[in-house]
Amino acid sequence: MDLVTVKGLSKRYGGIVALSDATFSARAGEVHALLGENGAGKSTFIQILSGAVRHDGGSILVDGQDYRPANPDAAQARGIAAVFQELSLIPDLSVEQNIWFRHEPRTWLGTVNRGEMRRKTLALLEKYNFPALRPDRELRRLTLAERQIVEIAKGLAKDPRILILDEATSALPAREADWLLKLTRQLAAEGRLVIFISHRMAEVRAIADRLTIFRNGATVAAHDANAVSDNEIVAQMIGRHLDRLYPERVPTATDRIALRVNNFSSGSRLSAVDFALREGEVLGVGGLQGHGQRELFQALFGAARAAGTVELWGKPVSIGNPRQALIGRDGIALVPEDRRGQGLLLTKSVRENLTLSVINRFTENGLLSRQKESDMVKEMVDFLRIKAGTPEQLAGTLSGGNQQKVIFGKMLLTQARVLLLYDPTRGVDVGTKGEIFQLMRDLAAKGYAILFHSSDMPELVHVADRVMVMRNGRIAATLEGEHISEEGILRAAMLETRAA
Amino acid sequence: MTVERTAEMAQRPAEVKSVNPGIDWRGRALDRAPFLVACLMLALIVAIYGSLQSGVFTLDELNLDTAAAMTLMLAATGQTIVLVRGGIDLSIGGMISLGTVIAATRFTDDPSTTALWALAILALGFGIGALNGLLISLLKLQPFLVTLATWSILNGVAMIILPTDGGSIPSWWVGFASAQFIGLTSPVWMLLALLLFWWWFHATRVGITIQASGSNEKSAFLSGVSITRVNLVTYGLSGLFAAGAALFLVTQTGAGSPTIGKDYILPSVAAAVIGGVSLFGGRGHLAGTLIGAFVLTLIGNLVFVLHVSSYWQPVASGVILLLSVLASSIAEKAARSRVQ
Ligand SMILES: Nc1ncnc2c1ncn2[C@@H]1O[C@H](COP(=O)(O)OP(=O)(O)OP(=O)(O)O)[C@@H](O)[C@H]1O
Ligand SMILES: [Mg+2]
Repeated sequence: MDLVTVKGLSKRYGGIVALSDATFSARAGEVHALLGENGAGKSTFIQILSGAVRHDGGSILVDGQDYRPANPDAAQARGIAAVFQELSLIPDLSVEQNIWFRHEPRTWLGTVNRGEMRRKTLALLEKYNFPALRPDRELRRLTLAERQIVEIAKGLAKDPRILILDEATSALPAREADWLLKLTRQLAAEGRLVIFISHRMAEVRAIADRLTIFRNGATVAAHDANAVSDNEIVAQMIGRHLDRLYPERVPTATDRIALRVNNFSSGSRLSAVDFALREGEVLGVGGLQGHGQRELFQALFGAARAAGTVELWGKPVSIGNPRQALIGRDGIALVPEDRRGQGLLLTKSVRENLTLSVINRFTENGLLSRQKESDMVKEMVDFLRIKAGTPEQLAGTLSGGNQQKVIFGKMLLTQARVLLLYDPTRGVDVGTKGEIFQLMRDLAAKGYAILFHSSDMPELVHVADRVMVMRNGRIAATLEGEHISEEGILRAAMLETRAA
Repeated sequence: MTVERTAEMAQRPAEVKSVNPGIDWRGRALDRAPFLVACLMLALIVAIYGSLQSGVFTLDELNLDTAAAMTLMLAATGQTIVLVRGGIDLSIGGMISLGTVIAATRFTDDPSTTALWALAILALGFGIGALNGLLISLLKLQPFLVTLATWSILNGVAMIILPTDGGSIPSWWVGFASAQFIGLTSPVWMLLALLLFWWWFHATRVGITIQASGSNEKSAFLSGVSITRVNLVTYGLSGLFAAGAALFLVTQTGAGSPTIGKDYILPSVAAAVIGGVSLFGGRGHLAGTLIGAFVLTLIGNLVFVLHVSSYWQPVASGVILLLSVLASSIAEKAARSRVQ
């Protein structure tokens, strides 16, 4: 019998229809993938199942019984736990406090039993072979990937029958993502249902038993995973055939150096890096996570302190803060890692987010030209196909992938021609991914210079002209031409190689 | 990206990194920087005060200063809980005034009547606070606005009950503040009780839930927290402590005053901020607040022994407030620029 059966589920937010007719059924002991474009309604569906949001119409049966959770507690009581896309963690609590939040073991005084909590934490982390985590570390000190892992631990701490993973791999580096995939299979083998959302087809292929495809808030198809091809799945997701994900890579780099970095260090994670990024080039930055990639991007953008020299278009610059980095066509723009923390103002509209840092462009004689602004915004929204009811919709209410698109649009509007893209396709659906890659190549052809990091190695392999592999805060190797391959990157990332 | 490759990658065990970097002392120090700065300030002020005045380092002085600071400390305890929740409570001003006028008009020589009225004042404090919390949640209004409004209302009610300072407080109640027990007066014992309370409270689920809601309300909600209930308890406790402050205050003044409460609103926030409580919620401890309250109180003493105009007191308080805000923001930046 099916563990979960959903019929005709619908949910509206004011004028925006998030779900119109979602149908879904899944059995215990399977990994069930949920696929769909950005804004298709996947997260909304998950939020309803986990009690964070209440549905308007339709029915949900769990174990054949009517299910309508009033809040996340009620969902937990029925054995449903979610690993949320936007994460449900508390920055000022420690890792273990977060994992056991509201379920802490207690002493007779009603206070948290720290010894017991530590024991339970270590047991949990060990049971599922978690990557190393310090239980006493405050959450706000963790990287996004580490936070994602804590969120997973928090979900598992409830020993749920149904575990929902909403794009949980998207923030994880390759090794941790592999671990999660393995864990997912293990959980299913234990007889649990895992509902798995991801925009990475390869992952879905590797672990899903069945899959359900959403489009525009409704279910378009459900399949056994081995009875359907990738192309069919993608076509059903985006409603058209996608010929290719990666654009043709025509070399467009000139001899002009857009960004030259010498002896560049920041903190303890980035030591004495030298490289040059040319006009018209897409330079990939790879390697295992935590080897200085983040620090490189942050420091170049002026968001972290750095030593060394930086030359932009031949002129030495010192970038003390992001404002200086941004200015004008000769500036630098960044797509940051943590979109909710750094990239977006969640309580501001899409329009405001897009234009905030470039407000000068719409000002004539000191007055804001609304017309010019709204034209520009509309152009960008259409261009990136940002799915928002109106440009006035609050950024915080957009689907995850659409938030990422807004950040991308915001960066493009700055007109800066040196772009730092840190995982720009994180959480973006296949269709749009392809468009973003195409856009990157188009921009390169126009003379933009792009520094590109991705946690998804194939993206580096297929999109970048050269790939710098980082290791222990240094550049371990720079791969070019046919040397760019996943094996090549991994080898350089893990082995001691000739210094580049 | 082929199926086989990922499937094969999924087979490869995730290596467990076995690094144990030990205790992160620097991180901890930075986290506690505002609190440490407050301790330093207090030490400095006590040192200056002690060099100008004899008998500063005695139990008597401790007893005196604690009595002088206790009303503020009680009010600031409630305020600390609210600030950690990410809110602010201005209504404590009205509650303190109202508490003193009820006490001054109702307390009698009969201990049981007085005790009943005292309990009633505490209950009223909790109830009005809880109402604040309810209004904030249900109407989705800013805590600042809601408590500003209730402050005004409570103030008005206090004026209606007792238009000018006066009434009377039974002497046995007044005597409470100077009652001694093994060399220490009751305010010092209350101080210890407050610390004990906090040590217990902030480690309970309720305490953690309040802190979590101040740290990130959305996450707390997604984790199953009822925000309405959190607000009810948070502001209820704040009202309760404000009522407690009123009951203590009348031991110092021996009378009721319909306007006295406003003198505690901003100092209660200032004491917390000096002690390292974040105005953005999620962070802070009562120990810091109590030190902040001592700092603010001792500045008064210092101004007195320096024989300068008493108007220097607010000036000095302001400067100290600025300094501590500066210190915590520097520490915050330092902590953030550290690479994890
Ligand atoms: N609180 C809200 N207010 C208004 N609209 C909302 C709200 N939450 C979601 N939506 C809208 O509902 C639609 C579905 O969003 P949802 O987050 O479910 O998409 P998704 O399938 O998870 O997409 P992604 O792959 O990008 O994460 C989107 O168009 C989004 O803008
Ligand atoms: Mg989503």
